[in-house]
Amino acid sequence: MLLLLAAALPTLFWDSGSEIAPALKEAGITHIAVPSARAESWKSVSSIKADSVELQGAVKLPTPSVNYRTDQASATRVPWLNSNGWRFLRQPSARFYYDAPGNAAALAAAEAFAFGANALIRTDAEGIKPLGEMLAYLANLPDFEGTPVADFGVIDDGSPVVGEVMNLLVRNNLLFKIVPSLDPQLNLTVLLKAKEIDPRITVVVQQIRSDLTDEKRSVRIYGSAIVIARLTSAAEGVRVHLLNYAATRPVQGIRVRILGRYPKHGADLQDFTVDSNATEFTVPELKIYSAIDLKR
Amino acid sequence: MPGPYLGQVVRVHSETSIDAQSGKADRTVVKQMLATGMRALTGDDKPEDSWARFVSPKDVVGVKVNCSGAPRIMSSPEVVAGIVENLIAVGVPAKQIYIYERFDNQLKSAGYEKYVPQGVNITAAESNRGSILGYDPRTYVETSFFGEEDTRSNLVRLVGDTLTKIINVPNMKEHQAAGVTGCLKNIAYGNFSNMDRSHRSEQTNTLSFIGTLAAVEPVRSRTVLNIMDGLRGVWHAGPFSVNARFRFYPKQIMFGTDPVAMDRLLIDVIEAKRKAEGAVSLFERSRDHLGNNSNPNKNRFIREPGHVEYAAKLGLGVYDIEQIKLKAIEL
Repeated sequence: MLLLLAAALPTLFWDSGSEIAPALKEAGITHIAVPSARAESWKSVSSIKADSVELQGAVKLPTPSVNYRTDQASATRVPWLNSNGWRFLRQPSARFYYDAPGNAAALAAAEAFAFGANALIRTDAEGIKPLGEMLAYLANLPDFEGTPVADFGVIDDGSPVVGEVMNLLVRNNLLFKIVPSLDPQLNLTVLLKAKEIDPRITVVVQQIRSDLTDEKRSVRIYGSAIVIARLTSAAEGVRVHLLNYAATRPVQGIRVRILGRYPKHGADLQDFTVDSNATEFTVPELKIYSAIDLKR
Repeated sequence: MPGPYLGQVVRVHSETSIDAQSGKADRTVVKQMLATGMRALTGDDKPEDSWARFVSPKDVVGVKVNCSGAPRIMSSPEVVAGIVENLIAVGVPAKQIYIYERFDNQLKSAGYEKYVPQGVNITAAESNRGSILGYDPRTYVETSFFGEEDTRSNLVRLVGDTLTKIINVPNMKEHQAAGVTGCLKNIAYGNFSNMDRSHRSEQTNTLSFIGTLAAVEPVRSRTVLNIMDGLRGVWHAGPFSVNARFRFYPKQIMFGTDPVAMDRLLIDVIEAKRKAEGAVSLFERSRDHLGNNSNPNKNRFIREPGHVEYAAKLGLGVYDIEQIKLKAIEL
């Protein structure tokens, strides 16, 4: 399912009036979703296609963001990321719905795209321009029919506790997919049952990481604790998706390590190296999202 | 490191080197201290001959300052300016001298540009705090302390790409995590990225990490001289010196190529001051002493002053006090 959705762009959901149309046109947004009750008013608006949708049944998502937790005396300075990746993985066929004001609208669009999710994004007037820019960036990416890379499988019992484990797995850039039973194609399959899980969720995640080993991880990120990476793979190469959860503050320099040899790329990368079993490069600046295609 | 003067340290003390009331250093006296110390270290009659043993006009020289407590305490501009003056005197062009630190905001607050000739480079690895662009992606120490995602600490790019020699200019400070911060800590934690990760809660991995980093090439071989600026010092709650109560004035500068021997003597300086102030030893490991460090008998971490002895085991110098030859000079 994720494969089929991979090319789908998120859609702006606008539930106010059509007077926003000039702003949408200026932002390059030509396709939106509106509530059925508003559909009629959009029929007279030229060059914007308005699909009639209802939010009933859509899964409401928290706004993607980062919380630096500066108000807490913490044992760790690692920021808290509000990421929805695990929700997409758990419900790959669901339709999702964000409330994402301002720049968060662009991050929401990128997040949904990177995870191949079917998502509507409701934003405010400030969010129109950044969302339009992000949708244009996503639409202009080269076609890439890739499948999500998973280094291990998770047998999910559907519980909130296991959901939180998966959330931390995503945030720690540990690539997994949900499997119904042991998958011999994967390096590791983890059976997670709410009743048997150590209440210290981070310990569970560290154990999974330790069992997998960092050497077998398809993607590693160095230099930022607020970037989540996803990886999709095809015959010709891989696409690296990088999401900066501090949507208003670019990350200055991220080092990325991808398992496998991919000597060709067309992106603006620094210190590109390919060794016997891995490819590494530095992204000089990551604003909100970047998709980097590496070729074999 | 440990260089040609294994186990040898020169200490030059001058009561007039700094005014403890105003905190103002006397540049002329500092200059005399530098000349005296360098001559005593090498045995040369002329200071320029002493300096010429460590650098040549072809070198690109990094002066690794410590600005973690700036502007309250840092490698004194008077000391740094004196070093730069001597480098230029032996023929190193100003443009081949780099005063450098990791963090730009700390470095700028020290104001070195007002003390050194035009053309001397003053640069930080992180112009934007947290940016990795100033670090060498190919030279790093990789280890996991607490399960952190970023397991690498990368070398400052300037060190690997540009510098041929480094003069290390630490201060005399207690350090909440490492016990003391002297030559080893300044050259180790001061030359690599992603250091915060080695501390969590009361635990710190400075015991082994400091020596490990200091032993990484090319840091080890390019660091040819250590000049420890002890005009000012911090005896508790270092390295930042937020609380003036914990600042003191040893009024001395130490010279050597052996960072372990110098830091071993630094431990004695800090311990003596702490004892005089009624504070527990740096080596105290009881959890009873964990807490708010506005109290000199409390600390956020269990300190690891043993990092100095650990570095000796890596071959970085002499730790045994009986084997350290100290020349103490009073000006």
